[in-house]
Amino acid sequence: MPTISIFQEDFSQLVGQLASMEDIEKWLPLVKGEVKDVSHDTGEMRIELQDTNRPDLWCVEGIARQIRAVLTGSLLPYSFFSSRGRTKRRIQVLQGMETVRPFVAACASLSYSMTQEGLAQCIQTQEKLADAFGRKRETVSIGLYRLASIAFPVTYGLVKPDEVRFTPLGFEEKMTPHEVLTLHPKGLEYGGILTNCERLPLLWDTNGQVLSFPPIINSRELGEVHIGNTDLLVEVTGTDLSMVVLALNIFASNLADRGATIEPIDIVYPYETTMGKTVRTPLDMGSAQSVSVQAIEQALGMSLGVKAIQAALASYGYQVKATRQSVSVKLPAYRNDFMHVMDVAEDVAITRGYDSFSPIMPQTFTVGALSQQEQTSDRLRDLLVGFGFQEMFSNILASRQEFVERMRLADTEHELLVEVDNVMSLTYACLRPSILPCLLRVEALSPRVFYPHLLFEVGEVAQVDREADVGSRTILSLAAISAHPGANFSEMHSYLDLLMYYMAWPYDLEPVSHPSFLDGRGGQIRCQDQMVGYIGEFHPEVLEAWQIDMPTSGFEFEIRLPKI
Amino acid sequence: MNSSNQTDSLHPLEIQVLRALGATTSESLKDSELVQSTTLTPSQISMAVGWLLTKQLVSLVSETTTTYVALTDVGTQFQQAASPPEWILQVVYAASQEGQITTVKDLQATGQFQPSELSRAFGLLKKEEALSLGPGGSLQTTEKKSAVVGSLRKLLNQINEKAYPLNSFSDDHQALLRQYAVKRGNTQEPFRIDDHTERAYALTHEGRNLLPNLRENAAQEISQLTPELLKDGSWRNCSFRKYSIHLRPPRLAVGRRHAYREFLDTVKTKLTSMGFQEMRGELVETEFWDMDALFMPQFHPARAIHDVYFVKEPTHAKRIPEPFLRQVAETHKNGGGTGSKGWQYSYDPERAKRLVLRSQGTAVSARTLATNPPNPSKFFSIARCFRYDQVDATHATDFFQVEGIVLGSDINFRTLLGLLKLFATEMAQAKEIRFLPAYFPFTEPSVEMHVRHPKLGWMELGGAGLFRSEVTVPLGVTVPVIAWGLGLDRMAMVALGIQDIRDLFTSDLDAVRNMRRKF
Repeated sequence: MPTISIFQEDFSQLVGQLASMEDIEKWLPLVKGEVKDVSHDTGEMRIELQDTNRPDLWCVEGIARQIRAVLTGSLLPYSFFSSRGRTKRRIQVLQGMETVRPFVAACASLSYSMTQEGLAQCIQTQEKLADAFGRKRETVSIGLYRLASIAFPVTYGLVKPDEVRFTPLGFEEKMTPHEVLTLHPKGLEYGGILTNCERLPLLWDTNGQVLSFPPIINSRELGEVHIGNTDLLVEVTGTDLSMVVLALNIFASNLADRGATIEPIDIVYPYETTMGKTVRTPLDMGSAQSVSVQAIEQALGMSLGVKAIQAALASYGYQVKATRQSVSVKLPAYRNDFMHVMDVAEDVAITRGYDSFSPIMPQTFTVGALSQQEQTSDRLRDLLVGFGFQEMFSNILASRQEFVERMRLADTEHELLVEVDNVMSLTYACLRPSILPCLLRVEALSPRVFYPHLLFEVGEVAQVDREADVGSRTILSLAAISAHPGANFSEMHSYLDLLMYYMAWPYDLEPVSHPSFLDGRGGQIRCQDQMVGYIGEFHPEVLEAWQIDMPTSGFEFEIRLPKI
Repeated sequence: MNSSNQTDSLHPLEIQVLRALGATTSESLKDSELVQSTTLTPSQISMAVGWLLTKQLVSLVSETTTTYVALTDVGTQFQQAASPPEWILQVVYAASQEGQITTVKDLQATGQFQPSELSRAFGLLKKEEALSLGPGGSLQTTEKKSAVVGSLRKLLNQINEKAYPLNSFSDDHQALLRQYAVKRGNTQEPFRIDDHTERAYALTHEGRNLLPNLRENAAQEISQLTPELLKDGSWRNCSFRKYSIHLRPPRLAVGRRHAYREFLDTVKTKLTSMGFQEMRGELVETEFWDMDALFMPQFHPARAIHDVYFVKEPTHAKRIPEPFLRQVAETHKNGGGTGSKGWQYSYDPERAKRLVLRSQGTAVSARTLATNPPNPSKFFSIARCFRYDQVDATHATDFFQVEGIVLGSDINFRTLLGLLKLFATEMAQAKEIRFLPAYFPFTEPSVEMHVRHPKLGWMELGGAGLFRSEVTVPLGVTVPVIAWGLGLDRMAMVALGIQDIRDLFTSDLDAVRNMRRKF
C-alpha cells in the first residue's frame, strides 16, 4: 500500500477550495486513504492509500480530483483524450523492441511553469507508479524531459551496450549503457530487469541526443527538469501496453490539473499491437459497459432507483447513461479497474457514504458449534488446569537447534522438520514438530521463578509426512512438563494416567528408548495399538543443552479423536 | 491498630528479635549478632526481621555486601592431596628421581584427574615453562618454579580454615581465585566466591514502645492446631497466638489457563453463541488456497518473497483438486463464468502448488467454500498465520487471525453492516461505530469498522466485505458471502496490560503467571 506526502496549500489549489486538514481527513474515505502523519507547521500530511487497483489515487492530484468530483457532482472529461488530426510530434519504435521492452507512450505538456511543489509531486508520482504499479520498473517506468531541447521525431530502439555515450542523471561524466549497468547506483538496482539482453533499449532524438536508457536512468542533458521549466515531455515505457498507457493517462491528467496544455504524441510501431500500429497517446482505453440496476440494488440491499445510481456514479467521475433497467457506465481514462459489476456497486456506496446505509441483521437461523478437536482440547485443558498445571502459549516458528539439536535428536528418525526456504533469521526457520521444546524453553528462561513448575500447552504442530499432499501434516498435540528438585517419571506417569482415565482413553506404555529421555525411564504412549506419543525423564544432556539446572520430566501425545 | 492487638499477634520469633534489639547497648545489631543473642537460626532471623520490617517495628540501619571466598569439596581434596598442576609436577619429578620417563599418556592412564583438567594443567605449566615436552610425549620438570602452583598451595592452605573476604587478598591472588572459582557450567573448581550481605537493624519508635508489653509465655502459645490437640481435647488448655492478618500471604503456584488463550476462548464462545461453526485448516498451505482462490493475482505485490514464508522441502504440493484449479485459473485469466474481466494474465498452475506457511486465515474460509457449505451458514476460525516481517514490538513471527464467512440468500451490503454492528457490541461493548471504505483483493464492497471501545477509545475493530464473485463462483458457491476478520490483538494487549505483541507468547513463566485480564 503506497504512502504519499501531500501539502495542504497545494491540495487546496487542486481541489478548488480552501481545505483545512480536518476537511481533508473527513474526505479521505472517498479515496480509501488514511492519515498516517500530520505536520501542522509545514501543512504536510502523510497518507496511506489502500486501493492497490487505483494507481490514479496515489498522488495529490488524483486524490484532489476524486474529491472535487464528489463535491461538485461531476467532472468534465479531458479534451486531449479525443484529439483529432495531425500531431506535431512522433516517436518511432524500431524493430527488435518487441523482445525487450515493447511499448512506449508519451505526451507533451506545455505552458505550465514547473513549481517547487509541482516538481516534488511529479517525482513522487513517478516513483510510486514505477515502484508499486510498475513492479519496481519491470512493467512500467516513467521519464520527464525538457521539451525545448529535444528535436523530434524521437526514436525508441536497441543499441549495443557500448555503442553510445551519455551523461546519466547524478553523474558528471559520459557513460555507455554498459557502464551505467555496472557503475551507476540505478544500474545496479534495476539492471536485473535487462539480464540476458544482448542489446539495450534507448530513446534518442533526431540529432542523436540520448533522452534515456529505460528503465534505468535518464540522460542529464535532456532529462533534468528544473523549477521554472514550462514545456515538458513525459514518456512511459514498459512491457504491458495497457499499463503503460494508463500510467501516461494518469500523468497527463495530473499535469492538466496543474494547468498544463497536453498535446498527444503518435507512437509508430513496426509491429502490430493490441491498439494498432500507430497509437496516439494519451489514449482513453475504456468502453461503456452496461450494468444491471437490479444487480447493484441487490448487492447494496437498497432500492435506490436508476436516477440515484446515475447521480452517484456521475459524481464519482463516471460517464453514465441510464435506461430503465440498466446504466451504461464508462470509467474516466485515468482508471482501468473495472472488472465486475460489484466494483461499480462499491463506488455507488462510497459516493453516497457508507453511513447512509442502515445496518440490518441477517434473519436466518444457524447453529453454532466448536470443532471436535477444539472441544477435546478444551476438556484436556480443563483437566490439566485442575491438576495444577499452568497453561503456556508459544510461538511455533523457531530454530532447528531448539527442536532437534538440544533435544538430542540430530541424526535420528525424529530430526525431520518443516523448514522455511526464505529464512529471515535462523531463529525462526522451522515449524515446531512437537511442543516439548517450547516448554523447555520456558523452563530454561525461568530458573528464578518459584517452584514447582508444572506447565502444559495444547496446540498445533507440523510433522513431515511425505505421503501427505503438502508434504506434512498439521496435528493437534498436548505436552506437559514438571520441573522441581523431585521431578521424575513416576510423577508424570501419575498425571498421564489420571488424564487418560478421565478422558476414558485406554492406553499402554511401552519401554521404547527415545533420545530425549533417560534410557529405561521413558517410553511410548500407545492408544488403541497406535503410537501417539512419549513420556519420560529428560536426559541430562537435553537439560544441559537448554542450560536447565532442574530435574525435568514430561510427556507429549497427539490428540486423536476417538473412532466412533 | 492498637498496641495490645499488635503485641498479641506477634510471632514468638518476632518477640525474640524485638527483645534482643531492646536489650542491646549498641545502636543496632547485625544479622550475625542477632544469631548470637537469640536462640534462632539465621533463616528464622531473616523471616522474623522480614515481618517486623513490614510492620515498621524494626528498621534497616545499614547494609554492607562483602565478597567471600571459600573452598569447595574439590578444593578440600586439592588441599589435602594436590591440585592437577601440582600433582603433575610431583609425579614427573618423583619418576625422574628414579630415572624413569613419564609421558602424557601415563598421566592420563592413572585416571587421577579428568582429561580436561589435565590438559588445562599442561597448558599452564608449559606456558610457565615449568614443564617441558620431549620426544614421544615425555615430560620433564625444569629449573623454573610454577608461580601458579605455589600460589594455589598457599591459598588452599589459608582458606581451608574459614572463608575470607576476597579483597583481603592481593590483586594477583584475587585474579587467580576468580580463575579457579566455580562458575555456571563448571562446578569442578576448588574455590567458591559468594556475595554475603550483612544488614544491621534497630528498633523503630513503635517497636521500642511495644517492649514493655511483650508476652512472657509467647513460646508456649499454639500457632497451628493439630489433629492430636483435637483428638485428646488438649486444645482446651492452650492459648492460640493471634495472627497479623493484614500481612501479604505467600504466593501459590496454581493451575491456570493462559490469559491470552482465555481471551481467545471468550471470543470463540461469543462466536458460537452467535451461530458460527468453527472451521480448521493446515499450517502449511498451497499458494492456491492461500492466495489464488482469493483472487489475488500471481503478480500481486504482497505475494513476493519478502511477504510470505515459502516451504523448503517439498516446495510444491502434489496436486490441486479439480475442478477448482481449472475454474480459478480461468477466472484469473479472463473472469471465467463469474461475469468479470479477470486479471488478464497467463495464470501459472505450477505456481499454485507452491507451498507456503499460511499467511492469512482467509485461506481456511476459501477451503470451506469449496466444500459445498449449506445455505445459510456461518463459519469462523482462529487461525495461526505467518508473515515475513522483522520481529518487533508490533510484529510477531506467528499470530492468530480471527476470521470467518457468512453465506445466505439475504446477504448484501446492509446485512454485512448489520453483522459488523453485532460484532461491535458483542466483542467490544461499543455503542458508536464508523464504517469506512476499504480495500481487500477478495471483497467488493469492502468495509473497515472503527468502534469506540469503552476503555480504548476509537479503534479499528476489523475489516470485512462481500466476497467477490471471482472468489465464490469458481469454488462452487452461488449465494452471496460475507467475509470478515477481526483485529482483536490490540484489545487483548490492553486488557492484559501488555505493550509488546511478543509478550502474548512470552516464555517467561513469571510474566505468564502474573498476566491477567483487567476487563
